[in-house]
Amino acid sequence: MDNTRKLWIGLATLLGIAFSVLLFMGGEIYRKAPPMPEKVVTPTGATIYSRADIERGRQVWQSIGGMELGSIWGHGGYVAPDWSADWVHREATAVLDLWADREAGVPYSELNADRRAGLQGQLREDIRRNTYDPATATITLDADRANAIATVSAHYENLFGDDPATAELREAYAMRNGTIPDAANRHALTAFFWWTAWAAMTERPDSDVTYTNNWPGEPLIGNAPTNTMYLWSAFSVLFLIAGIAVLGWHHAVTHGRDAGDHMLPASDPLALVRVTPSMRATAWYFWIVLALFIVQILLGAMTAHYQVEGQQLYGFQLSDVLPYALTRTWHTQLAVLWIATAWLGTGLYIAPAISGHEPRFQRAGVIFLLTCLVVIVVGAFAGQWLAVMQKLDLSLNFWFGHQGWEYADIGRFWQWFLFVGLMLWLLLVGRALWPALRRRDESRSIVGLLFVSVVCIGLFFGAGLMWNEHTSLSMVEYWRWWLVHLWVEGFFEVFATAVIAFLFTRLGLLKPRAATVAVLFATIVFLAGGVLGTLHHLYFAGTPTAVLALGASFSALEVVPLAYIGFEAYHTWKLGRATPWMARYKWPIYFFVAVAFWNLVGAGLFGFLINPPLSLYWMQGLNLTPLHGHTALFGVYGMLGIGLVLFCLRGLKPGLVWNERLLKAIFWCFNIGLSLMSLLTLLPIGTMQLLAAIKHGYWYARSAEFMQQPIVELLVWLRVPGDTIFSIGALMLAWFVLRLWVGPKRMADMPPEAVTAER
Amino acid sequence: MIEFYAQIRLAHIAAVMTSGGLFVLRGLFVQAGRPAWALARAPRYFSYAVDTTLLTAALMLVTILPSGVFANGWLFAKLALLPVYIGFGWGALRAGTPGRRRGCFVAALVAYGSMFAIARAHDPLGPLASLIRG
Repeated sequence: MDNTRKLWIGLATLLGIAFSVLLFMGGEIYRKAPPMPEKVVTPTGATIYSRADIERGRQVWQSIGGMELGSIWGHGGYVAPDWSADWVHREATAVLDLWADREAGVPYSELNADRRAGLQGQLREDIRRNTYDPATATITLDADRANAIATVSAHYENLFGDDPATAELREAYAMRNGTIPDAANRHALTAFFWWTAWAAMTERPDSDVTYTNNWPGEPLIGNAPTNTMYLWSAFSVLFLIAGIAVLGWHHAVTHGRDAGDHMLPASDPLALVRVTPSMRATAWYFWIVLALFIVQILLGAMTAHYQVEGQQLYGFQLSDVLPYALTRTWHTQLAVLWIATAWLGTGLYIAPAISGHEPRFQRAGVIFLLTCLVVIVVGAFAGQWLAVMQKLDLSLNFWFGHQGWEYADIGRFWQWFLFVGLMLWLLLVGRALWPALRRRDESRSIVGLLFVSVVCIGLFFGAGLMWNEHTSLSMVEYWRWWLVHLWVEGFFEVFATAVIAFLFTRLGLLKPRAATVAVLFATIVFLAGGVLGTLHHLYFAGTPTAVLALGASFSALEVVPLAYIGFEAYHTWKLGRATPWMARYKWPIYFFVAVAFWNLVGAGLFGFLINPPLSLYWMQGLNLTPLHGHTALFGVYGMLGIGLVLFCLRGLKPGLVWNERLLKAIFWCFNIGLSLMSLLTLLPIGTMQLLAAIKHGYWYARSAEFMQQPIVELLVWLRVPGDTIFSIGALMLAWFVLRLWVGPKRMADMPPEAVTAER
Repeated sequence: MIEFYAQIRLAHIAAVMTSGGLFVLRGLFVQAGRPAWALARAPRYFSYAVDTTLLTAALMLVTILPSGVFANGWLFAKLALLPVYIGFGWGALRAGTPGRRRGCFVAALVAYGSMFAIARAHDPLGPLASLIRG
């Protein structure tokens, strides 16, 4: 059995086992999720909240942007509080104040240390006690808790309305006035917030750990990291080091094994590729990529600015028409959309190039798909606007409005539409690739692997269709991270590796067999950690302890291949200089090298910084999370998308002279801008927040009191240099692409000596 | 942020003076037939850094005192002159002929001086305000 076959069998076995375990864990998460009570009552039978209240509250929360305005269980936006943590702290404080007033006629903070400790001890026992009765599906809370809930509820009903008393707080949270105009809806919202807080402060039956594994850290109620977190955090580092050692040994043994004489082509093989009508039509995709990218940056600037002017943009009352919840929603959605469009376009461009076959009506299919994508973006975003501005009926919100799940925000109708669109993409790519897939030649495996990664990207979007309006929050999170994680930390990695290796084989720089073995091996290594690593997003989402153990161990393994990415980066750079004609692909290659760099820094370093359970316990939802998010998503997949766009443009416009100086400026603007954004703002604020969270409790690091400090505001302003440089890079990229169509410089127009130098 | 208004204003003014001074120096080198120093990497990237600092401080000032934008139009006048200054400034360093470079240099200096005067006077007419309005 040859190496390739062994690796395919190994990959299939790995995926079979890993997904079986992941699905089993899904079952466990379902069984052990925090219960949804039918009613919440006092001992005298008075109803505090009903199930209908909580479920309606969740719908209301989703309609105003859900995770895009503050966060729940640590997942979501960073400007407004984590509502679960905020509620926990406010309810605990309200109970303590009630008891202190009853006992000594003063607020809790004015008692002496002994008395405070005594009351805190009493609170911990009381608040952590699980009074859920499975037989009647009822939670019973004493009168003091009911009073505290009423106090906290009044605060949130005030905050989400337009009462002047909370105007300053709304500004600090970047909330528009009258976020929820309907009073009944505001009250329902408090039921949902309360339930998420209840799960965070109530111990599981026969356990001293809450449903959310003691998240958030809150000294008042005794929420602190568990023993399990310490244990698996330590072991995850051990596994990381062991994995690096094993991979290093493997590299030492196999390095150079396939190095032999490889005849490089005398000229660019891809220059001979016939550009078919459907390939030409993919140019529209690349134009859309740039348009979405620039709009995304604009929305990002508005979102960042909302941190310093909570409702305005340099004096203009922006929140009345485009509040934070929307700018952030569209900013995060467009990131995924433009990157995905780059890949859709690349797939449709290279498929006919690989097979030499243009199926009938392929061009029509390509244009139809693009039209559908534009309709989806416009329609989904319009629905989200109507939802957040509270102009859409709640009954329609799930299907056409804002689902409120970060990265999976669009209405269910638009999700289905996008899923069908992705299946259409698979069909178009598959039918163009079919002759190449059937050919029994050296390239078959690598073409096959590329197609498998494309199929998986399409199919895994389906994970976003696995929940409905009333699915338990823990299960929604489970499926949401199937979609997001298995994309960005799973099959996107496979696609990235496969497409770059594949392009190098097509350029004749790598032997297909060697490339296939390398990509298959890399896929096995990525997915060995990547599949079960999905669980690292779910540590504190109402999941059982096993999620901590498995998630910590396997997600540490995801970082193993990144430790060696320097080899890949250097190899890629060297291939860029392998022949004189490779100068045509210099800048796509440089972007691929940047992918490797940011894979190490953004995904590896900044990712592992927040990865172990003990780290994430404190860091989730702080600025250290977008530090990883921005550097990883743009650094790896944004750069890859741009590199692939440039690669395809080289083929679409073969006889043109590229403006090398402009491309160099674009490249460095992106890298320098991203670095400054991270180092001048996200890292320092995140670190300050971390220290504050450990000292005072998680709620404090996300509070207005902390985030409105002058030093934090100053650090937010330090986004301007990096973001400006980055934006200039994007504008220059748009100008570069525009000039390929408008007034381009052709090789034929250049004097002979210049053409020689260009070659 | 209002606590830091004085410091931010100082940083903005310092950046303005540095940017203007650097432009004058580079322009003079170009006029003297020595463009290599003016267009070398070090002064170029230093000018980008200074201009970015200037822009950041300016945006912070507008946020702290947004009413400045709507007062008597002095800020609008400054902002209107800014692209003029940038355009002529580019021409002063890179225009094709010596005559054009000289013309652009002078025009850029006039634009810069006007912006400075408007900012000092907090009036769109700059120092002429007191003469015209009495």
